[in-house]
Amino acid sequence: MASIAAAKVQEVREITRIERIGAHSHIRGLGLDDSLEPRNVSQGMVGQLTARRAAGVVLEMIKEGKIAGRAILLAGQPGTGKTAIAMGMAQALGQDTPFTSMAGSEIYSLEMSKTEALTQAIRKSIGVRIKEETEIIEGEVVEVQVDRPATGVGTKVGKLTLKTTEMETVYDLGGKMIECIMKEKVQAGDVITIDKATGKISKLGRSFTRARDYDATGPQTRFVQCPEGELQKRKEVVHTVSLHEVDVINSRTHGFLALFSGDTGEIKAEVREQINAKVAEWREEGKAEIVPGVLFIDEVHMLDIECFSFLNRALENEMAPVVIMATNRGITRIRGTNYMSPHGIPIDLLDRMNIVATKPYEEKELKEILKIRCEEEDCEMSDDALTVLTRIAGETSLRYAIQLITTSGLVSRKRKSNEIQVDDIKRVYSLFLDENRSMQFLKEYQDEFMFNEMGDSGDAMEVTDG
Amino acid sequence: MIAVKSPQVSVIGDNQMSASSNWIPYLSAAKKSCLVENGVRKVHYNLPDGKEMVEEYNLQTDVLQRRMWKVSDTVRGEKWNVEVGDQLPQFDNLESVGIQENATAPMLTKRITKTNIEWRIRNLPYARDVYSVTADTDGITVRTSNKKYFKKIDVPELARVGLLADSSLLSYTHQFNTLIITYKKPPKVLEMESKILEMVKAVSPTKVPDIKNAPDQCKPS
Repeated sequence: MASIAAAKVQEVREITRIERIGAHSHIRGLGLDDSLEPRNVSQGMVGQLTARRAAGVVLEMIKEGKIAGRAILLAGQPGTGKTAIAMGMAQALGQDTPFTSMAGSEIYSLEMSKTEALTQAIRKSIGVRIKEETEIIEGEVVEVQVDRPATGVGTKVGKLTLKTTEMETVYDLGGKMIECIMKEKVQAGDVITIDKATGKISKLGRSFTRARDYDATGPQTRFVQCPEGELQKRKEVVHTVSLHEVDVINSRTHGFLALFSGDTGEIKAEVREQINAKVAEWREEGKAEIVPGVLFIDEVHMLDIECFSFLNRALENEMAPVVIMATNRGITRIRGTNYMSPHGIPIDLLDRMNIVATKPYEEKELKEILKIRCEEEDCEMSDDALTVLTRIAGETSLRYAIQLITTSGLVSRKRKSNEIQVDDIKRVYSLFLDENRSMQFLKEYQDEFMFNEMGDSGDAMEVTDG
Repeated sequence: MIAVKSPQVSVIGDNQMSASSNWIPYLSAAKKSCLVENGVRKVHYNLPDGKEMVEEYNLQTDVLQRRMWKVSDTVRGEKWNVEVGDQLPQFDNLESVGIQENATAPMLTKRITKTNIEWRIRNLPYARDVYSVTADTDGITVRTSNKKYFKKIDVPELARVGLLADSSLLSYTHQFNTLIITYKKPPKVLEMESKILEMVKAVSPTKVPDIKNAPDQCKPS
């Protein structure tokens, strides 16, 4: 009897585990107290006390919202928590402040020029808080019906039936709205609202009348009453849209639904100028408020000299967000030139930045991080195994050690144990090579590999800097 | 030209301005222009609070055919919101709108006759005894006992003269899949309408060349 119950619990969990675990999914904030003093282990952050404190000061600056166009550089060795600090800042800022995260290499696209990509990223990081009245549809889903054409190509046809306690209406759906509904996993019994102006769908919960369908309800399912009255209502809402969204909405060639598919293309400069003027006007009239946000550029050394000089200018604009960059490079070539510079960033841009350094973790901190990751990845680990893993992290890299958590978890489960022992760690350590051992292996057997041009010097790292 | 849309949205039916029963002074303060075309007198009001409104009167009967308000929307831009008369034809396709009511969904139109205010709700295929139409403090409410349709209808005309909906003036019939609701205009409303008509008639229409009946001087080969 107990085993059946256990099996059932397992099943429910399988269904509800929808979010995947990412490398930084354990981070919930910067882990600072009210006086901005960093706590040693808090909100998923460990160590890096000075860097976190600096990030906290920057955070205050952003929250004040007065200073635009500052740049912060997070510099440190690989695996010292640069991205983690940026993620922590994003979490600490909350929903209302726009936070855009991009990697330096994202700007290289055939469809868009580099400066356009950067401009869009910058404008995505500036919010406009507008109070407006919109028409929303609020109801319980009776049926979602999506028909694909028999040939497999062409537009999909969709119908959505919604009801309240008093009425029921069938709506036709356009292609992009169907995608949104699929993405939100809307199904019969959900209570949803659709903002007619922006097409945004949000799930309020499941209807009480469906409370008896036990399948597919996890602990986090919220039950709500079926709405009353008319399906379409007018509501005054305050929402934060980014300048980029306003741009897209107002560029006639795309239409607002382009926001969902992301195929916004290039936006004309004159559109942007007009939007800027209009937003300034709204601001003066008190209709709107500017919320400067944060643009985080990871791997900033991947930008080239054109982008850097563009950023130089863009940061001086009064509408600029706070730009946080992260790099793990030392003194290296600036991409697109033959000049060497610290962090691969031109001196004039470096001069405008506040540089925050991250230091390699100490053994005690490594252990804490691994412990947090074990919890996040749902693996139990014995103390001995954790000590061994900490040593591995110290000798190879933190990332490699984190990779070993789930893999050793799987190995321990194969031998029907819930706790990871030292043997499991040893086993996966022999199964998966770390970078050093891999290089060792290549050096030993290089003659047998194809296209082997590596001479005796073994200077393989040159290739990455293209 | 790129029109940047303003976030300020004015709504009709939300009787903020009309609840104050000074509707006639409000309209008379407006800058009016008039146009006579195809048997219709069109009057455009530039109202003192920045709103814009258009009325269309039938020349023969002097009955208001259509009244609409200009509404601006952050997303869709300017559009005309119809208070009285048939809806404007919609040319946006489903792809750009994203979601819209199915063609079989009930549709409400309002029209004004000499003595009555009339609402027609098309696409209501249910039997007559399903419907109940009641008058209450915030307008007229349509309900269906099978829970398929529900609508609260504002009556701005009544609010403009400071009256509440009266169930003794209300009647409804159902035929050809259409529910027709009739509300007999109280004397106060009739009086207000005749005053506005007088005001409108005083506006001299702008001359427009009558293209339809023009003698065709230019003969294309």
